[in-house]
Amino acid sequence: MTTRIQEVEDQTRELTVCLVGMPNSGKTTLMNAITGGNFKTANYPGVTVSLLRGKSKAEFGCTLNVVDLPGVHSPVAPSPEEELACRVIEGNHERVRPDAFVLVVDATQLERHLKFAGFVAKQGKAVVVALTMMDLLRQSDQSVDVEKLARALGVPVVPVDPRTGGGVPELVKTVHAFADAPPIGSALARLPDEPVSAFKLIRELLQRSHAVRRAGRLSVGMDSPTARIDRIVLHRYWGFPVFFVVLISLFAAIFWAAQPFMDLIDAGFSDAGDLLLRVLPDSVISRFLAQGIVGGIGAVAVFFPQIMILFFLMTLLEDSGYLARGATLVDRPLSYLGLHGRSFVPMLSGFACAIPAVLAARAIPARRERLLTIWIIPLMSCSARLPVYALLLSALLPAGSAWKQGLSLAAIYVGSLLIASLTAGLASRLVFDYRKPSLLAMELPVYRSPRWKPILRMTWARGSSYLRRAGVPIMTVSACLWLLSNFAFSSQSIVTPAKMETSVAAQLGHKMEPALRPMGVDWRVGVGLISAFAAREVFVSSMAIVFHVDGDDDQTAQAGLLEQMRTATFPGTSQLIFTPSSIFGLIVFFFFSLQCFSTVAVVRRETNSWRLAGLQLAFYTGVGYILAVASVQILRALGVA
Amino acid sequence: MKVENDSHFHLETESAPARSLSEVPLNRWWRIERLEGPHEECNRLLDLGFTPGEEVIVTHAAPLGDPLVIRVRGALLALRKREAAWIFVE
Ligand SMILES: Nc1nc2c(ncn2[C@@H]2O[C@H](COP(=O)(O)OP(=O)(O)OP(=O)(O)O)[C@@H](O)[C@H]2O)c(=O)[nH]1
Ligand SMILES: [Mg+2]
Repeated sequence: MTTRIQEVEDQTRELTVCLVGMPNSGKTTLMNAITGGNFKTANYPGVTVSLLRGKSKAEFGCTLNVVDLPGVHSPVAPSPEEELACRVIEGNHERVRPDAFVLVVDATQLERHLKFAGFVAKQGKAVVVALTMMDLLRQSDQSVDVEKLARALGVPVVPVDPRTGGGVPELVKTVHAFADAPPIGSALARLPDEPVSAFKLIRELLQRSHAVRRAGRLSVGMDSPTARIDRIVLHRYWGFPVFFVVLISLFAAIFWAAQPFMDLIDAGFSDAGDLLLRVLPDSVISRFLAQGIVGGIGAVAVFFPQIMILFFLMTLLEDSGYLARGATLVDRPLSYLGLHGRSFVPMLSGFACAIPAVLAARAIPARRERLLTIWIIPLMSCSARLPVYALLLSALLPAGSAWKQGLSLAAIYVGSLLIASLTAGLASRLVFDYRKPSLLAMELPVYRSPRWKPILRMTWARGSSYLRRAGVPIMTVSACLWLLSNFAFSSQSIVTPAKMETSVAAQLGHKMEPALRPMGVDWRVGVGLISAFAAREVFVSSMAIVFHVDGDDDQTAQAGLLEQMRTATFPGTSQLIFTPSSIFGLIVFFFFSLQCFSTVAVVRRETNSWRLAGLQLAFYTGVGYILAVASVQILRALGVA
Repeated sequence: MKVENDSHFHLETESAPARSLSEVPLNRWWRIERLEGPHEECNRLLDLGFTPGEEVIVTHAAPLGDPLVIRVRGALLALRKREAAWIFVE
């Protein structure tokens, strides 16, 4: 119902085109091809959970506003992300008003995708079908005649390969040409809503027009690589061993694969610090730069390769198609815990970062299961904890045993999965007592062999956004902390270098000492724990600063820090601070506590209330502290130093 | 109709009532006879392609026996046993 005035406005406005279709049909890949963007794609259904916007690249001639929508299985009983997409498609969204739809249709599953297409075509907006996965069609000895299909459906059809950009210019042109030609009266728009007759009509259409030629029914995919891989990964006995081997090698690989890069970065920062001290005249400024800035950042930057490798392996796994199988395998145990098979992917991406993981939980259909998943995501050991664990494990285990550290790290990761499951199980029974099982009905995509360029691009995108997010707090807190721990309140004129014991940081830190002693650590570690609320990684740079690692010439900064930590004692005594029990306690603390305000904010946004978010913050941090104290005390009682 | 039954069995099952998809043997083709279950959920299954008359095959059961992996209309879908039990096949 556009009025005249709006119509006039519409003509001067750029076209808004929405990419719609069923999940995993290649919408976001197409979005990236049209806009040159770097939005997240992966080979499982339900990757995109919010509206992604962009403008078509200039090289296509005409500008389009492109909006990528979450995939929709069915407008019936939608999950939140499907509901969002349906709202846009039906024209009920406040801000996104589509002029035309690009219907992304998987050519290997025409019938199912065209059923959904009928729903879109009925909206009275222009529709252009983009046919993806044509390459897979050829492999499985089928073919689709594009022209016959277009004639049968009554809407333009453009074959594309979004991964290479093939067919995309034609698609953009077609969209422009047909933007004001809604497919009213076309066969597609006339499909009934009722699924049984709609599917029957679709099959008739396809058969009558000879648009699809396929080999016999039985050969469909039964001997494909996908079927062969599935016979192993979904195997009755092998399924779970394979699953755990995949997960454990993912986490263990982080340690040994990163070592050479870590040494390189470590050496680089150590040299930079030394150079600063040598070149600049010895003064507060030069020491501030060398120790506070370069030293602080360097202590964290050393762990960047590990984080990149984690991102790389996760991207690889996401692109393979295995995740949907993993979700299928664990659906049974997870639903016993009150979760859902679809909780698996958010939980796993929680290992990279809790923020996208909380968003990914939108794909979980039932509210109860979604909230429960969000509740346990902060327990997943995110990449911000990786530097902390890596430092603590290096301090705990003798040097040169990378495999031990790797396995311990894998144990922490798998442990966080188990503890999270336990928490979910308890919470689902104690708190969320209302149990109405939801629908699984999850699609398993075909396996795809990795394509390195997009995977590396995605890894880099994730890595650099990590740097941007963590960089600022690390830099500011390091700088502040250096100042606090090198200056003292007492005298009128600034005395430097203040003795650590009289610095501002120490005076503040001493106030917390009573709470820290039971954890087996002193105020210096406490300062690190508090500053870790800015970002967990800051703990590492704080350690470097409060334990005063000064560039010893024949030692890199990383080795120096470890050395300092191994020999640090409680002031005035010869009692070591970092003993196996206190290090274990610290690991336990970081394992549980929610030291990340961005997570709190995103949980509050996704749940629309502070309740769950605030409760999470208080609960996990409290539990972290209590369990850390308990484990230190128990270990000591058992005779562990 | 080409249900891949072995011939001995075939004679006896001619008048057998429809079985639910959750209890049929793996790796055989079945034809969906009807859906019987909660209204909304069944409508969603219909939308996903499980319509009466359509042929389906259960290709895997996950290690714990649940969920089942089912091929329908060229797609692989994981359904819980509870959901598969709403689909009656012959
Ligand atoms: N072989 C092949 N793979 C494709 C093609 N188009 C996309 N893909 C792959 O299909 C997978 C899914 O792509 P996405 O773009 O994430 O799918 P989507 O439609 O956005 O999925 P949702 O966001 O979950 O709705 C990715 O692994 C792509 O690389 C194609 O034409 N051929
Ligand atoms: Mg997408």
